[in-house]
Amino acid sequence: MTPRRRAVLLVLPALVPVAAVVGAALVSAVLLSLGLTPLVGRPELSLDAWRAAAGDLGTATRLSLGIAAASTVLAAAVGLALALAATAAVRRSRLLGALAALTIPVPHLVGAAAMGLLLADTGVLARWLGVSPDAWPSLVGGPWWVAVVAEYAWKESAFVALVVGGVLASRARSYGETAALLGAGRWARFRFVTLPLAAPALGGASAVTFVYTLGSYEVAALLGRPYPEPLPVMAVRLAGSIDLAVRPQAAAVAVTTAVLALAVVLLALRALRRLSAWH
Amino acid sequence: MSAALDLEGLTRVHASGSAPALDGFTLDVPAGSCVAVLGPSGSGKSTVLRLTAGLDEPTAGSVRLDGRDLAGVPPERRGMAMVFQRPLLFPHLSVRDNVAFADRVRGVPRRRARERAEEYLGLVQLAGYGDRPARALSGGQEQRVALARALAAEPRVLLLDEPFSALDTALRAEMHDLLADLRLRLDPTVLLVTHDPAEADALADAVAVLDGGRLQQAGPLGELYARPASLAVSRLLGGRTEVPGTVRDGVHTSALGPLALPGPVPDGPGVLVVRPEAVRVTAPGDPAADVTGTVVRVRRRGLRALVVVQVPGPVGTAVEAELAAGEELPAGRPVGLVLPVGARTVVPPAGPASAPDPARSAISHG
Amino acid sequence: MALGTRLGRAALAVWLLLPLVPLVLWAAADRWTAPAVLPQAWGTAGLRDAVDSGAGTASLRSTVLGLVVAALATPLGAMAGRALAGSGVPAGGAVLAALLSPLVLPPFAVALGLDVLLLRLRVPASVGVVLLLTVAALPYTTVLMRTAYAAHDPGFEEEARTLGATARRAVLAVQLPMLAPALAGAAFLAFLVGWSDYVVTLLVGGGQLVTLPLLVASAASSVGNEAQVAVLSLGSVLPPLALLVAVGLLGRRR
Repeated sequence: MTPRRRAVLLVLPALVPVAAVVGAALVSAVLLSLGLTPLVGRPELSLDAWRAAAGDLGTATRLSLGIAAASTVLAAAVGLALALAATAAVRRSRLLGALAALTIPVPHLVGAAAMGLLLADTGVLARWLGVSPDAWPSLVGGPWWVAVVAEYAWKESAFVALVVGGVLASRARSYGETAALLGAGRWARFRFVTLPLAAPALGGASAVTFVYTLGSYEVAALLGRPYPEPLPVMAVRLAGSIDLAVRPQAAAVAVTTAVLALAVVLLALRALRRLSAWH
Repeated sequence: MSAALDLEGLTRVHASGSAPALDGFTLDVPAGSCVAVLGPSGSGKSTVLRLTAGLDEPTAGSVRLDGRDLAGVPPERRGMAMVFQRPLLFPHLSVRDNVAFADRVRGVPRRRARERAEEYLGLVQLAGYGDRPARALSGGQEQRVALARALAAEPRVLLLDEPFSALDTALRAEMHDLLADLRLRLDPTVLLVTHDPAEADALADAVAVLDGGRLQQAGPLGELYARPASLAVSRLLGGRTEVPGTVRDGVHTSALGPLALPGPVPDGPGVLVVRPEAVRVTAPGDPAADVTGTVVRVRRRGLRALVVVQVPGPVGTAVEAELAAGEELPAGRPVGLVLPVGARTVVPPAGPASAPDPARSAISHG
Repeated sequence: MALGTRLGRAALAVWLLLPLVPLVLWAAADRWTAPAVLPQAWGTAGLRDAVDSGAGTASLRSTVLGLVVAALATPLGAMAGRALAGSGVPAGGAVLAALLSPLVLPPFAVALGLDVLLLRLRVPASVGVVLLLTVAALPYTTVLMRTAYAAHDPGFEEEARTLGATARRAVLAVQLPMLAPALAGAAFLAFLVGWSDYVVTLLVGGGQLVTLPLLVASAASSVGNEAQVAVLSLGSVLPPLALLVAVGLLGRRR
């Protein structure tokens, strides 16, 4: 058997199910949203579902992008700080590294439940601070989606810390020492050595966080408010509706989210390529 | 247990269209002998071992063991063990289990395999190291274990791919002694690949010089030193004196003047090469001197010095000579040089292709 | 160490730990009414409620789901990773991108799109869930194993071959033991995908496949049962945490 043939045979068992599932899901969602494969009634090409969803779709898209952006910025900033503390040349904090690693297997759903217990108006934080439920700001289910963003930022900061920390641990110390010998102070080392070294990993991890947050359902469903909804919550609500006729609208929302996620990834890849081209 | 290895016309083209990594390589390795394949990096010498071991398939040619063609025989059934430049000790096994590996995959019971492993560890002077993890060894010890592991497989041919190049000089000499000792005791057939003429000299009975994927010359190393078949061989063995000229009626004519050659050489252009050890330095007025010139550079080499002597002429020809131990000559001193007739060798000039024309390479043996 | 640095590190530790504190407190609280700072009565009421809600069978289901996904996605990812670590795969970049696409596409979107199809094809819900989660886990296992294979020196297998091991034996006795840490990591991530999934199980499982995350979500969306939520949450965090520690210790020992 030629090496090429062997490689193809090795990759196919993974590639076939992935391509089949992803391809079938996307095609099926597009067809459904265009009215070509309705659960009831006659197939007919129409933009009815898109038209019906259009108004809420715009609101939901803006909301989803906002939540994802806020969560990503917070997660990237805290994650970078965690990575720096966990890999510092002087007194590196093993504890922070271990805590970040231990946060990884916590499911987002559990994170959401925990944030609920912590931030609700009768939550633990309100009790500890001695604030009565009436005076407590509505962090859970409030207009600013604070609990939702906090949960994403919390979980994803640990992810960012691990990715960036991995890069810094293997490379930054020797470069940092070299820079110090060349006379660079703490801030200069951070600005000219550590940050450029970490930038590709930080950018990549941020992009993953953004895309994940954009498409994640359970946190916003549990900690958000009934209206307006982000894209995943809207899609799942429509899909679970008793009225089978709104199923195409759910598909339209799913297609919108998928296209949005794809666009973000392509933009991020372009930006990252430019970033790594600097080095 | 050791067998005769016979490589016939081995050719390997890695990717169609590219130049062959090995081109029609033929070599006999008699049973119980040690033959070194000597060549610069990229000459195709590792390819010889990989084709012999069955790790790669030859594009053409054959590998025969005691006359049996090994085409299609997988590496594990060829009865050849190989030691690479990197020790490649399995990191998940102890030293003992590394050495016992060949027996284990052959189905020998664990206890017996481990006992035998201890014997081989003793052979490489590492008795008592068996329990250590493979990672807890120094570079020299790792390579000894790799050697013990290969020997424990009781190979019919032992293949060594620059096994000692990564070691420092003292360790390398120690490993050379160890291998010589093992050859006396076990009498294995060994095919060794190296870029170091000194290593080939220390270990091998015969040497095959490879350059650009082609066999340049094969034979005992002494013969290669005395009668290199090509510029590539001469250079690889440390020859630096190269005087272009023309041969007519057994006389080479060049900037050095006419010089009679020891044997019949076909007429035509040819490069005269002379080993520095053979050149004798005398006074400029010595009637025995073949040429006179001026010392332009002195290269120190331990007790002996190597001088570069510039011979006057239109193209400025340089001849290198080794001085006797302790002898000194300053740059600028005029000297006479004796080029003994027996040390004069003519090789074909370097053509557009680096490989010599096989038909012409015979001339050096004249 | 400067005071600022110390404060900063303390703040980071609080950031990582704080959300988990209510879980621990509530899980052991029988009665905790506002504005008390700590529970007034400690006990196992939360545990009892959780067990009553079916936590036992649900965690069993989650375990099986995680194991099945790991058992499928790890070998497939290892094979694909091995092929992609070399240069033998035609259009390797495109193939890798295709294998990573489940990371990009929102799981709910894939589940919604496929759900209709699976219903039409009469694929059993549990098979559909396993299929989708395996696909979701494959990017992780593939990337991890590709990295591991790229760092792995094929010389070790060649050495084993010249020592008499068959190709199969060389893989079993040399390649797999050397790659065991990476395989364990890949299997752990794949297990986590199955163990902690919520939205795919919800949409494709159609409510028949009640896993631990489904119990957590249904408990957390109603009020007044904080202790039960906390116990269920801890119950879904502790097993993978224990696995992670075990895998980490195993990796350190090697």
